[in-house]
Amino acid sequence: MLYRLALRNIWRNRRRTLLTLSAMIVSSALLILCLGVFSGMLRDLLATATEQYYGHLVISARGYQDDRDLFRYFSDRESLSFLSHTDVILGTSPRLRNFGLLSHRQDSAPAEVLGILPEREKKVTGLQDALVAGTYLSANDHDGVVLGSGLARRLGVAPGAQLVFVTQAADGSIGNDLLTVRGVFRTGDAGHDNSLALVPLIWLQNILTLPGQLHEIAVRTNQPLNAAVLAERFRKRLPDSLEILDWGQMLPEMREVVASYDVSRMIIVTILYIATGLGILNTFFMSVMERTREFGVLKALGMKPGQIRWMVFLETLFMGCLALVCGVVVGVALSLYMARFGIDLSGTLTPITYAGGTILPRLYAVIEPANIIIPAACLLFVSLLAGFFPARRAARMQPIDAIRED
Amino acid sequence: MALIELKAVSKIYRVGNQQVAAVQDFSLEVETGEFCVLAGPSGSGKTTLLNLIGCLDRPTSGEVWLAGQDVTRAGEKALADIRLNKIGFIFQAYNLIPVLTAAENAEFTLMLMGMAKKNRRQRVLELFSELGLDGLENRKPADLSGGQQQRVAIVRAMVAEPAVILADEPTASLDSQASEELMILMQKLNRERNATFIFSSHDPLVISHARRVIKLLDGHLEQEL
Repeated sequence: MLYRLALRNIWRNRRRTLLTLSAMIVSSALLILCLGVFSGMLRDLLATATEQYYGHLVISARGYQDDRDLFRYFSDRESLSFLSHTDVILGTSPRLRNFGLLSHRQDSAPAEVLGILPEREKKVTGLQDALVAGTYLSANDHDGVVLGSGLARRLGVAPGAQLVFVTQAADGSIGNDLLTVRGVFRTGDAGHDNSLALVPLIWLQNILTLPGQLHEIAVRTNQPLNAAVLAERFRKRLPDSLEILDWGQMLPEMREVVASYDVSRMIIVTILYIATGLGILNTFFMSVMERTREFGVLKALGMKPGQIRWMVFLETLFMGCLALVCGVVVGVALSLYMARFGIDLSGTLTPITYAGGTILPRLYAVIEPANIIIPAACLLFVSLLAGFFPARRAARMQPIDAIRED
Repeated sequence: MALIELKAVSKIYRVGNQQVAAVQDFSLEVETGEFCVLAGPSGSGKTTLLNLIGCLDRPTSGEVWLAGQDVTRAGEKALADIRLNKIGFIFQAYNLIPVLTAAENAEFTLMLMGMAKKNRRQRVLELFSELGLDGLENRKPADLSGGQQQRVAIVRAMVAEPAVILADEPTASLDSQASEELMILMQKLNRERNATFIFSSHDPLVISHARRVIKLLDGHLEQEL
């Protein structure tokens, strides 16, 4: 009967209860949506950094990523077959890199030229999805190039145009050859759009006189936020001459952004729930104060302080649970909508490059368990905390004083 | 041994800087099955005495014994147990729980005692029938008349068969006809079930039904009839 009594007490003042419940539901639902959108932005930021260029993990000759020295290469025959036998690996892409000059008629521009195997690169990065003109490199392409949009604009080229690439080869000679523009990509990251050019791996190996040699193998995993742990796991299986770095080591600023996200999330949760908690506290104090005489009667009938405390506590628990279920349902529904459709802001905002990644001009949400569990658990905790003080007051009332009170 | 024994009980309240004696050096014995009233004008100490007997308040000095147990210095939990198991209360304003039905209100003390739902409902329905409350079990207090609410309060007070039933001005909120009916009903319960009743009242109608009248004035025993 105590449960029934607690449930019915909640609905004594319907309007007040509904208003309080609405506040709890709206706050938790909006928080779930807000954290989902934050996660979406973070995922965009991380994806633009790692899934458009770096990869989640990179295997390279020891020290190569510090100075990208042409001569720190390794053979593509190195035994790295264990990578293909791990289910957390979604793709690996062997790469060779050099810097040189691209020219078209009177125009020239310095460029970072990345030799790739197109079909394998597609499994690691998503530049093929960022094309704004032409096509991506095909598997049997011998002399094609895909350029960043800024670089293409500086050179005044479009798909079909021919470029000359000049660079210093590994044997000390000057390597040069013709390339045909296949496509142009735009990522929103000015650094890549203005300087990156993708070419066939074999073509670049020939130009640099490094047949069968690589500078790095970029790896994509299905656990990007767990990349550091995976790197540690794979590190033991690499030859001494090679090292494996996770995206956090290559992009320390990005790692800080991810870490600060967790802090920001807790700050937002705390601020929102302090406000919500005060609302709940006010409601329950009002409810307890209004029933002072009744608590006196209950005590006179033989109800113990612990039972009174439990009854008031149950009331907050029921309200917290009800708000939690409704809040999670509404929050997940809003997040699902935002995950599926999102809001395109490209008409009013431009991409912002930050910490090695790009904040895209769109709002979309990502459903992550933590973004639901944290608001739900905090709502329940705040409800119970807000119910604690009124429950204690009710339990401590002296029956004679309580009955006398009007 | 008397069911209730008050030994030189005093109760002094502090009002601002002044001390007010509600009851002074008062002694009383009440036997099982008595039907008595504490009568007197407002401020004479009737309610204070009922509160002391009902373990709702503690005396400033003296002792209160209930069914052979000194309750004067009992702890909070022990007092709650005594109130639950040995005392039934009937309040002037009925004080039924508004969100519970009549039957739920009546069986509340049995629920606190841990009695199974089926048994307590059966016991409540028997008393409802005896007190003319048939068919009102599922009504909320707001849907009952004052007399009906007070009868539900009587069932609540009696259902656990306490040692004593204390009624503070039980007819104060009722009209004369309902008051008369209520007193006849309580007399019947006293007679048939040997239930001990102690009232506080200044209503001549209540006083006229009592077998023992304890008249109070300024916290002292003025006269006993």
